[in-house]
Amino acid sequence: MDEIDIESALNEIENESDDEDEVQISLPEIIQLMEETWLNEKFSPEILPNKMEIVELLLDQITTLETNLKKLNNSDFKKGLYQMEVDRLRFLISSYLRKRLEKIEIFCTAILEQEKLRSQQGKDNYLSQNELQFAQEYDQSIKDNFESVMRFCPGIIETQIISPNIHSMVFLKSKENIDGIVIDDGNDDNDLIDLTTGAQVLIGYKSISNLVKNGDVHLI
Amino acid sequence: MFAEKACSLIKELSRCEEGLPPYNIELVKEVCTEIKQLHEQNKEDGAIVANESEIAGNVNPLYPTLRIGSAAVKRNIRCLLAYHYNRLRTLRTMRWQFGSILPPDIKTNLSSDEIDWFSKYSSCLGKYMRSIGEDGLNLCLDLRPPKSLYIEVKCLIDYGKFELSDGTVLLLKKDSRHYLPRSECEELITQGVFHHIV
Repeated sequence: MDEIDIESALNEIENESDDEDEVQISLPEIIQLMEETWLNEKFSPEILPNKMEIVELLLDQITTLETNLKKLNNSDFKKGLYQMEVDRLRFLISSYLRKRLEKIEIFCTAILEQEKLRSQQGKDNYLSQNELQFAQEYDQSIKDNFESVMRFCPGIIETQIISPNIHSMVFLKSKENIDGIVIDDGNDDNDLIDLTTGAQVLIGYKSISNLVKNGDVHLI
Repeated sequence: MFAEKACSLIKELSRCEEGLPPYNIELVKEVCTEIKQLHEQNKEDGAIVANESEIAGNVNPLYPTLRIGSAAVKRNIRCLLAYHYNRLRTLRTMRWQFGSILPPDIKTNLSSDEIDWFSKYSSCLGKYMRSIGEDGLNLCLDLRPPKSLYIEVKCLIDYGKFELSDGTVLLLKKDSRHYLPRSECEELITQGVFHHIV
């Protein structure tokens, strides 16, 4: 069964029942955005700016879809297909948020410091409000634990901050024509590359981290 | 040799990759004492070196001792923290596997600090999951991408009655087989009630 078919079919029932449709972007578009966001988050070594607005849009849609599904007859063949699709969407969201939590936990102190710097410079935070709260509580709980371990001899604690390897290699696909990407490999003689729309390359993450964040390329 | 005990702490942990060995309080205490002694010794030596360094051109014979002493303290502390940190990471994985209540056999292996940490982690994770969307999202479900709507499961223990979300009540007996919606039985699979027949 073609996936697009199901999605557009889902979109139809969603539109039938929801007369006062306030959302401007359609469900297939949201899903596509969400898939892209999820892949980016999955493959990038560092945490990316949060896309909670997409998550929330999609969650709303899922709730509507589920209420609509309940109206369908159990013996209806379509019901199974729709249910499957809803499950897949929910997995997409869960997996995305889980991946972010994992990164937050491992690079906790490093991420919190970066976030502090960003607030000071007046930039947008990467973490959502709730994630930030989680990060702070997690960080505190680890530090408390370390301190109680070192209780016998206070004052000599020194922890190492774990930060992500932003030089790791990633596969990406370009969505735009981009000229003159500097390949930053630590040497002075930097090479430049140009990307055409749809080009796929393997490249160090640091060279293209900005392009991932502003959406010109996506990781695959 | 310095830091040998700390090293054996780490080895003990890395030997059990899956589970969590009992919290080795004796060895931890011994490592702590070693750090404390070395630290005191370093302080004394440091004071002597600082006093004598005023004499110009004098290379103090205590320098190497001091260096080794301080390196040993650092190594000990790193091992000690690594031991505790990695235990917490294992505990964290268990939170995702078993939910907020730990099986009693694991709980006996923990130190009181670790039990504290677990409940703290559990509550801040719970708070986060409740905050997603309007009425929360349980991230512990949907751990694997769904392949099919229904799966075949084998019941491993006498579980008793189990109600599905559409109101059907099943009697789960040991070795009975069921064909159920995946979303309904995912939690029971992680709890070890069901075995997924592939």
